[in-house]
Amino acid sequence: MKRQVPLVLCFLFGVVMCFTQFSPHQYSQTVYNEVINWALIMAPFALIFGTITLIQTHVARIRRRTEHWQYSFVVFAGLLTMAFIGILFGPQDPTFEWLFNNVQVPLDATMFSLLAFLIASAAFRAFRARTFEATLLLIAAMIVLIGNVPVGDLIWNTVLSWLPWDNGASETRQWILGNPNLSARRGIILGVSLGVISQAIRLILGIERSYIGGGD
Amino acid sequence: MLSKLINLDRRIIFILVALAVIIPTLLPLNLPINVSNPTQRIHDYINTLPAGATIMIAFDYGPSSMPELNPMAKAVLRHCFDKKVRVIGMTLYPFAPTLADTLIKEVAEEKGAVNGEDYVFLGFRPGYEQVMLRMGTSIASAFEKDYTDTPLTEIPMMKDITNYDQIDLILDLASGSTTQIWITYVNVKYSQQIAAGVTGVIVSNMYPYLQTKQLIGLMPGYLGASEYEKLIGVPEKGTEGINNASPVHVLIFVLVVIGNIVFFIQRKREE
Repeated sequence: MKRQVPLVLCFLFGVVMCFTQFSPHQYSQTVYNEVINWALIMAPFALIFGTITLIQTHVARIRRRTEHWQYSFVVFAGLLTMAFIGILFGPQDPTFEWLFNNVQVPLDATMFSLLAFLIASAAFRAFRARTFEATLLLIAAMIVLIGNVPVGDLIWNTVLSWLPWDNGASETRQWILGNPNLSARRGIILGVSLGVISQAIRLILGIERSYIGGGD
Repeated sequence: MLSKLINLDRRIIFILVALAVIIPTLLPLNLPINVSNPTQRIHDYINTLPAGATIMIAFDYGPSSMPELNPMAKAVLRHCFDKKVRVIGMTLYPFAPTLADTLIKEVAEEKGAVNGEDYVFLGFRPGYEQVMLRMGTSIASAFEKDYTDTPLTEIPMMKDITNYDQIDLILDLASGSTTQIWITYVNVKYSQQIAAGVTGVIVSNMYPYLQTKQLIGLMPGYLGASEYEKLIGVPEKGTEGINNASPVHVLIFVLVVIGNIVFFIQRKREE
């Protein structure tokens, strides 16, 4: 019974929601709107579950004294401070805004900007034309890289001024993104979409049952 | 010598990158910017909107992507307020409300736009598809109040706006996969016009949707921001950013070329 109820609900809602997409009838649309309302109510629970998981993970880290367990206290300090101020005074409270602008923004920006250093170092070490495919990838990447900044066209128009067309770096970048990249992306999108459809059918028909736990 | 070069201490590379960012920040470059077609298309679309038209801007990014996406948001907001196009701001990212609210207020103050009449910021709602689909029937049922806790029914500009039917364009400023979700659920189901401004790393994902015109236009990272700033004639942070990023791109290009030259010489010697 514990396993059959979720399977029946999944089948029922899967079939009904598919049906509502093809029927403009008033009753069908009422059902659709109602279910979307339920989904909207359920969405905040994902945030609650996320927070609970975060707390559980860090409590476990502290208990087990895993590596760098002390930092888990920083997580709790941040979580409690922001939650306390946000819930009590609202997100427009000056203290909440100050903490966001002066703690979260610089921390996030710092983490992200470190990528530039790591990418430069990794590109120098790992980006090698070892095979024909790697060479193609390397050439495309270099054109996109240099065509993505105005200095690319400046170099092209100065160094390659004898060529019959201007702004070649950005034009070639645009061509690479709009042709070979687009074709490959479309293939990936189609493949993923077909996979999603088949997985959805498996879920609706109860063939795929891993979401209720305990394997088949 | 070759092995020294190939095993170059990464701290030297870090110093070179730092210099490539710091020098143009102190001594600003002024490189010519060519506007690409996808950015031009967003600008042209907004330019053709009549006064009183409405666009919705989804601020779907957090502080880590602010340098790329905030200049885009600013440029588009300036364009909209100049054209008297009304703006509805909202976000599906929990980190974005404070930054989006601050940014809208800043541009609104600069342009003399009035909250509730020329623009409104709805704030954040959890759930991606659910919020998008709900707004298709009624925006007020997804966002009962705006960010300042004013009920939507009491906001003058929202009186004649019920759902996507009254919105002329949705601009998604994204650092993740939200643009694809907007396209899948809002463009396909409601035939809503959608444009996007995205971070540099996800630009290539967007091109299939540009070709099918599911995206009417696209602003790619810093470049897109600088292009839009050029189009409205207000070069600011986007232009500054792309000029500062230029030497780093050249540096990485040169490093990869040197790395490969050394690699080929070494391989030839081994053979």
